[in-house]
Amino acid sequence: NHIQNKSFCVHNVCVCTVYLSYLGPPFSDPGFSPPRPNSSSLSVPSAATRVDLWRGLENGARLAQNQRAYSVLLCAVRELARSTLCPYLQSSLMHFCSGLSGLLGSISGLMNALGYTSLPPSTPAQGYAPLLSSQFQNMEGFWVLRELQSWLWRSAKDFTRLKKRLQRLATTVHGLN
Amino acid sequence: MLLLIKSPTLCFSLSLPLPLSSGFYWYFGYIINLQNFLSWTIMSYCARIQYEKIGSDVTMQCGSLDNDASVTWKVNGTDVKARRREEGPRLILMEVNMSSNGLYSCFQNPDGQRRDQINLRVGLPPKEPQVTCRSNTYPKGFYCSWHLQHPTYIPTDFEVDVQHNQRPLEVTRDEVHKNRCHVKFPELFTSFPYRVNVTAVNSLGRASSAISFEESSIGTKSNQILRGLCLKQDQNNFPVELSDSTSHTITDAYAGKEYIIQLAAKDMEIGTWSDWSVAVHATPWMEEPKPITSTTESDIIPGMHELPTVRTLLSYSL
Repeated sequence: NHIQNKSFCVHNVCVCTVYLSYLGPPFSDPGFSPPRPNSSSLSVPSAATRVDLWRGLENGARLAQNQRAYSVLLCAVRELARSTLCPYLQSSLMHFCSGLSGLLGSISGLMNALGYTSLPPSTPAQGYAPLLSSQFQNMEGFWVLRELQSWLWRSAKDFTRLKKRLQRLATTVHGLN
Repeated sequence: MLLLIKSPTLCFSLSLPLPLSSGFYWYFGYIINLQNFLSWTIMSYCARIQYEKIGSDVTMQCGSLDNDASVTWKVNGTDVKARRREEGPRLILMEVNMSSNGLYSCFQNPDGQRRDQINLRVGLPPKEPQVTCRSNTYPKGFYCSWHLQHPTYIPTDFEVDVQHNQRPLEVTRDEVHKNRCHVKFPELFTSFPYRVNVTAVNSLGRASSAISFEESSIGTKSNQILRGLCLKQDQNNFPVELSDSTSHTITDAYAGKEYIIQLAAKDMEIGTWSDWSVAVHATPWMEEPKPITSTTESDIIPGMHELPTVRTLLSYSL
């Protein structure tokens, strides 16, 4: 059961940092912290959750939340890559997408193995529609990467928790046999 | 009749000549002062504190006397020897420094009655405090601590405010550590940084500094811990990186040389290294320890360098 969390940093260069400097100010300013656009204009689900709710998530629900998030994020980062004019950045983002795709595949595989229903892989992520205005695009890009960072941080803990729960389950089952 | 009232605080050590025929009342720091037989005034005999900046010229005013009043000043009961100027009821000290600290009393001439007491404390306005935040109770919350790099020499308070997603968070001050506060995470895995602003305030000024951080950089608590070891001998550092084992034996230490051993830990997947632990001193023995004979009664066996092994040290500090 090896679910790899793809690091945001490739060859010591963090994709996020490079993309932010590509966007330029104010996105590249270190203290830049705008309010999050409302959910209708940004369809990437937020990783934020209350401590008690996160702890109480059932295995299936935990995996499903991750699956939904990464399928939307994959689509979103692909769109970012497509709209990027800088070739180096575009290839970095596409490379990152292949990592995300692998992660998504692992999650779906795990869900199937555990008997949970998962999104069919061919279904395009619902709700992600790229916006046309370039200023909105920049803000969208900024927030996609922000949410991606939060999800990667969260998933590490989601999977650690899942692993512990499954291990406990496995030893219980083993004990019963 | 001379009435001497002594008290641990400065407020009460004074002597008053009191006429026998009059009564007096005192209540908490206030003594009704009989100025003359016809009027009473309540004067606070608590010496008031005056905070002033080091290097500045300080003016001390004797009570509410007229400008043409004549007073004599004393500091801690002795004459004022520092560079000064006296203008009526005012004493002006030039370029005060730490030796100017003291209890200044002014006595009205010619009756010699004490009119005022000023506790002069010189100091400096605060500079920006240094702030750090970390979490050792993740995912419950984090704590922040601060300190001033340069002393102010006078009482200085701190105000803290924490913002997250443009909303203020509730800050709980630590009961034990006065320069520490605790904050609960409102939510986990948010995409907004936390912004902590600490303001140092004293009578001479204020200064603030702020830090911003993401939840992911605050540190974690986890069962998957990497442990690192650092050996120091003379001026050499020998870092030894370990896995998640809880004991380690050092096999290449020099006999007879003193080593300093410290430990640090880090979550295997994510997070940063903890602070170095308290140092433990150890010296590998020069000769093999002698076996304990059954006739020995005392715990201390002379001639044997019974020093704890590294393994013991490590399990102790973990």
